[in-house]
Amino acid sequence: MNDLANMHYEKGRSLWQDAFSRLKNNRLALLSFAVLLLMVLLALLTPWIAPYSYEEQNLNLGASPPSMAHWLGTDVFGRDQLTRILYGSRISLMVGFIATSVALCIGVLWGTIAGYVGGRLDAFMMRFVDILYALPFTIFIILLTVVFGRSLLLLFLAIGAVEWLTMARIVRGQVLSLKHQEFIEAAVAMGFSRWRIMLRHLAPNVIGPIIIYTTLTIPSVILLESFLSFLGLGIQPPQSSWGSLISYGVETMEEYPWLLIFPALSLSLTLFALNFLGDGLRDALDPRVSKD
Amino acid sequence: MALLSVDQLVTRFHTRDGVITAVDNVSFAVEPGQVLGIVGESGSGKSVACYSILGLIPSPPGRVEQGTALFGGQDLLKMTPQQLRRVRGQEIGLIFQDPMTSLNPHMTIGRQLTEPLRVHAHLSNTEAKQRAIAALEEVGIAHATQRFNSFPHEFSGGMRQRVMIAMALINRPKLLIADEPTTALDVTVQAQILQLIKNLQRDHNLSVIFISHDLGVVSEMADHVVVMQKGQVVEEGQPDAVFFRPQHPYTQQLVAALPNTAKPSVADFNAQDPVFLQVNHLCKEYKIRSGGFFKRLLTRVPAVADITFGLRRGEILGLVGESGSGKSTLGRTIVRLVEPDSGQIMLAGRDISAMSGEELRLTRRDFQIIFQDPYASLNPRLTVFDCLAEPLRVHKLVEKNQVLQRVNELMDEVGLDRRMIRKYPHEFSGGQRQRIAIARALAMRPKLIIADEPVSALDVTIQAQILKLLLHLTHKYQMAMLFISHDLAVVRYLSDRVVVMQNGKIVEEGETEALFASPQHPYTKTLLSAIPHLRRVD
Repeated sequence: MNDLANMHYEKGRSLWQDAFSRLKNNRLALLSFAVLLLMVLLALLTPWIAPYSYEEQNLNLGASPPSMAHWLGTDVFGRDQLTRILYGSRISLMVGFIATSVALCIGVLWGTIAGYVGGRLDAFMMRFVDILYALPFTIFIILLTVVFGRSLLLLFLAIGAVEWLTMARIVRGQVLSLKHQEFIEAAVAMGFSRWRIMLRHLAPNVIGPIIIYTTLTIPSVILLESFLSFLGLGIQPPQSSWGSLISYGVETMEEYPWLLIFPALSLSLTLFALNFLGDGLRDALDPRVSKD
Repeated sequence: MALLSVDQLVTRFHTRDGVITAVDNVSFAVEPGQVLGIVGESGSGKSVACYSILGLIPSPPGRVEQGTALFGGQDLLKMTPQQLRRVRGQEIGLIFQDPMTSLNPHMTIGRQLTEPLRVHAHLSNTEAKQRAIAALEEVGIAHATQRFNSFPHEFSGGMRQRVMIAMALINRPKLLIADEPTTALDVTVQAQILQLIKNLQRDHNLSVIFISHDLGVVSEMADHVVVMQKGQVVEEGQPDAVFFRPQHPYTQQLVAALPNTAKPSVADFNAQDPVFLQVNHLCKEYKIRSGGFFKRLLTRVPAVADITFGLRRGEILGLVGESGSGKSTLGRTIVRLVEPDSGQIMLAGRDISAMSGEELRLTRRDFQIIFQDPYASLNPRLTVFDCLAEPLRVHKLVEKNQVLQRVNELMDEVGLDRRMIRKYPHEFSGGQRQRIAIARALAMRPKLIIADEPVSALDVTIQAQILKLLLHLTHKYQMAMLFISHDLAVVRYLSDRVVVMQNGKIVEEGETEALFASPQHPYTKTLLSAIPHLRRVD
């Protein structure tokens, strides 16, 4: 046994390590990752680093352009724009991540079961997805807010409940194509249980597409929240999100352009970063661009 | 003067992981009316050499860096893409391995056949159609006028390859390049296609470059042979000289690897032993259903029809048949990957076919299956260690602290380096992967192994090693093995007895040598006569 313990193994490079080394060569994706990290960090630290309170009004000041005291200017109530954007990033990013997680959980579970079990159950589950697809999203959310009242939690759940549909379809497609791969059949032939096959053999092999789709879902969720807040269905003042800030900014675009420009800029920057990172991950995880 | 003479051709691929020299200083010549055979294993550069000449390699990363290719006095490598396209359309015809992917599925074969005529020869539609129908008749397609408007999927594999040949020859080229044209085909169809190419070559005084990994096929076709290894020509000459008096060690190795002989060792089983695996009246029908929610039954295809046979410990039973004969379905049904409709599978006195649920799951360790494609049969996200340890853990075959020890033993057993166990499948070659798959099947010390075409995806030299390994392990552990293959030579090398399947039924069964010496059933006779051999032309 001693010689076994002392043996030098040739360490393999997993597909993940391969993917990571490819990602490292993609400058744009790395830069995007850094930008996102910075955004998240700023959002987390907002209560300590924000120069003012997000609801503190200074009516004497009114809407003032960027200055030394207020770097990004103030809104019509004299509230500091930088502070409001920082607090807004907390809501927007939180919606992005939580709603995406909701979508991820439901979508992956739904898609895996439908794909792996197949047959009538699959047909039934996917028709259900089709029906939900056909519902007009805005009406769905308006109905929900009418019934349950406005709340942040509801917003997360509602967005997540709509976004999982595409995820379920993607996962189901992947599982379907993997199900008949010989290594899955080999696992069945070796007498592994269903759960072991799903969790250990199927899931790790669909995770690539899932990660990629996730990075694409987050921006679309943030946009959805912006859209809902823009319509007045989302975040209400004095709280702020990027979407609500932009919607106010649009109203006063001609007199006070900085109220539109800065929130729009932060939103675009985040969306760009997420999309570039998603692109980078897609390229990095695609086995077709691997070395052989 | 040679029709095509290639001189000192060098093709390199500039990839992220460095420069790969795929074709390294290769020279060969094709005489008018002659067949040049290029032999080599996968990755030897035999196809890349020919595609380089025609400007068909993906570029980047590929680049032809040196050499000349004189075709009728002109250097193909110096031509503009437009000139090359004209040469490809009119003077050099090409056929590929897979006739399904090289025909456009959305166009009728008539349109695909007349396209080169309209583009390159500027014929009118009616003239083109007449020429196309004549070409289809020439390659042996019956009712050519009616089939003119058929789509590729309406043809069988062999017929599609005939269409491809008609298309390649329709502009009356001087040279035909055939890249593994029969590799995807069954052996009887292969024999027909080879005969067709031979006839056409003679009738039109055509020059042919015939690329293949199969020495038997090349020796039947070629007037002159070039052997390639790792991008270089290692030997060339008359087929007789090359195959029967090979000079280069690599050629010797290739020829020696051919499973042309009978089984090397005497059978290691006792014919008096009770039967170990008994399959009785096994049936499996595939029901073809319509799409949609209701899935109406359209038709039934009997894949396995009333199969009965027995197998003893330590015995290898070869199961032979062409594609669609139901041999794979039979193998999968025995290991319960496919549910049998009726019949009985008795293994060591227990009825596997009657088991279900947990009992079946736990009994599965007794019967394992090895698949054809070692690239698809290993989970890409598991290291070799995880892959081999998992069955040991799931079935609790060894103590926890013994797992590593046992995995190492398995690695030794299949001839892999112990130090590789932390690596992932994609870091291994095809042959090594198949060894991993064998080790995985072996981990549970099964009583029965179904080997479903385990060497069909491998090069001949690797194939020989894997066959030896399977033989050794079957005897060492006294397992019963059902060896499924379309390759009769391989089956002859390995099996004690042979079963021949056609259309889901067993048509003949017997001791290997007796069956090969005097086949009784007409289908077996056709199969045996269709195998291309290394033949001396004395």
